[in-house]
Amino acid sequence: MTRGNRILLSCTYWAFVAYVFVPLVLMVLMGFKDSKFIGFPIRSYTLEWYMGIFENAEVISAFAYSVAIAVLSTLISVFVGTWIAVLLEGRKFWGRAAIFGLTVLPALIPGIISAIAFRIYARYLGIEPGMGAIVWSHAVHNVPFVVLVVMARLSTLPKSQIEAARDLGADPLIAFLRITLPYLIPAIMGASIFCLLLSFDDFVRSFFLGGYEPTLPVLIFAKLKSGMSPEINAIATAALVLTAVVGVWAERFTRRMNKES
Amino acid sequence: MTYDASAREDRGAVPATGSDRTFWGRLASWAPYRALVQLATATPRRQFLILAALPVLWVLTQHLGPMLQMLRVSLTDAYPVAAGTEQHFTFDNYLRFFGDRLFWMPFFRTLGFAFVFTLCTLVLTYPVAYFLARHVSPKNRMLLLLMLLIPFWVGEIVRTYAIMILLGNTGAVNLALKWLGLIDRPIPFMYTSFSMGVGIVYLTALYMLLPLYSALEKLPKSLNEAAADLGAGAWTRFRRVTLPLTIEGISSGCTLVFLISTGFYATPVLLGGPSTTVFAETIAGFFHVAGDEWPTGAAFAVIMFLAALILTTLFQKFMTGLRKGERK
Repeated sequence: MTRGNRILLSCTYWAFVAYVFVPLVLMVLMGFKDSKFIGFPIRSYTLEWYMGIFENAEVISAFAYSVAIAVLSTLISVFVGTWIAVLLEGRKFWGRAAIFGLTVLPALIPGIISAIAFRIYARYLGIEPGMGAIVWSHAVHNVPFVVLVVMARLSTLPKSQIEAARDLGADPLIAFLRITLPYLIPAIMGASIFCLLLSFDDFVRSFFLGGYEPTLPVLIFAKLKSGMSPEINAIATAALVLTAVVGVWAERFTRRMNKES
Repeated sequence: MTYDASAREDRGAVPATGSDRTFWGRLASWAPYRALVQLATATPRRQFLILAALPVLWVLTQHLGPMLQMLRVSLTDAYPVAAGTEQHFTFDNYLRFFGDRLFWMPFFRTLGFAFVFTLCTLVLTYPVAYFLARHVSPKNRMLLLLMLLIPFWVGEIVRTYAIMILLGNTGAVNLALKWLGLIDRPIPFMYTSFSMGVGIVYLTALYMLLPLYSALEKLPKSLNEAAADLGAGAWTRFRRVTLPLTIEGISSGCTLVFLISTGFYATPVLLGGPSTTVFAETIAGFFHVAGDEWPTGAAFAVIMFLAALILTTLFQKFMTGLRKGERK
């Protein structure tokens, strides 16, 4: 590889980094602007917008609502996803391929179609739009990610350990709870964080299945439709910081867990 | 390795005795529990059925159910059924699609946009993945990759808004161009297919980057060296060695990005304009107004899904064929 090519490649990389970061940095900066109008240049700075979100009851309740939805839907996804992964990994049975295909289906359906299908099905099941419907749709949508992550981890579990436990008299359930489940913890943690972030940031399903109470992304969307303001920047930045902190922490956490075992 | 230690001191898993004071010991020797486990695991077949019941029920009712219900609603003339009327089977909802330019124009526009944006994402991220996989030491690789991952955890709405600030008339790009003296008045980037493209590529780039990166990382360096020894230039090596061997990554990345970019709703609403209405907005329109438009909305969603599915399947077939052709 010639030197010129190398430099060109590294320039592309840093240009891409700029593409990825600059918009977000600008958004954070704009939240400090001491004016009602969005736009550059920023002549004077204020903390008013950022402090404002702590006093804004609407934002705080949307935030709490989103977190509650994320936690509840993640619990369901992780429970069901782990169960499906245990069934699918390392077993051969009639219809396995079909079950696997159906398992990953929600991850492959484009967002709007998935939201519409859930909306129709919710009415069919008699679930009113609102928190229950959002939790349910997020839970179903996130199951495939849990299954894939847990299956990958499960495939590295030494079979001998289960056999040893069974030889020592453990029934299948206890062998699962005491051997398999502890082994899966890093994968389950990683998948949980991923589900939490997916649910917290989801817009399209929350939008179509939500009632009158907005989740945080839906609130930002509604505010955006009536015009841009540094207030939105502050709210969006709060969401961004939370997501990034949880994400980075999870990344370090899972890597440490993987190293330990 | 915590599970190892607990397995060794595994007194609890032994049933009977009852002198065990661990939780597991007590559980294992508790009569109702033992009866239950015995009942459940009496035969391997029964054990399997109990294990399989929940997953099978779940994927059928929760994963397949919504799609089937959508299909069913799309074939009816009224949903929900008003009191005193009957629901009829009909294909009219599908025929409506072909009848109005307002319907099929956004549909083909969406497919066209998704195609172009997928191509843009591929061209943009391939050099990035190449650089990461081939020119960065393994130690720094994770750090540089992780740096790119962080922004992708941030949600769709927040990142769309970030693009709005970047491209607005008083946005950073226009300010920079003005400052450089290239323009006098701001270029109206916003509410065009350009702003929409920048936004969608921004949202999907990671789904392309990761498959490309893992394909490139697996590629042994020796192949390139061998090609160089045989006298192949940089371009030939790329075209004859690297590209054919990463076709799998390209194919799965493109499939993912294509599927995802047909499904965006908020981004086209916020970044696009009247001339860039995509099919997602058309579909959503049927669900915001009176409820009796639901069957049409469902039919259009089915059309969209089938089209995306057929196109990506054909594309993957084509790419597999290409790979086999290269090997000959």
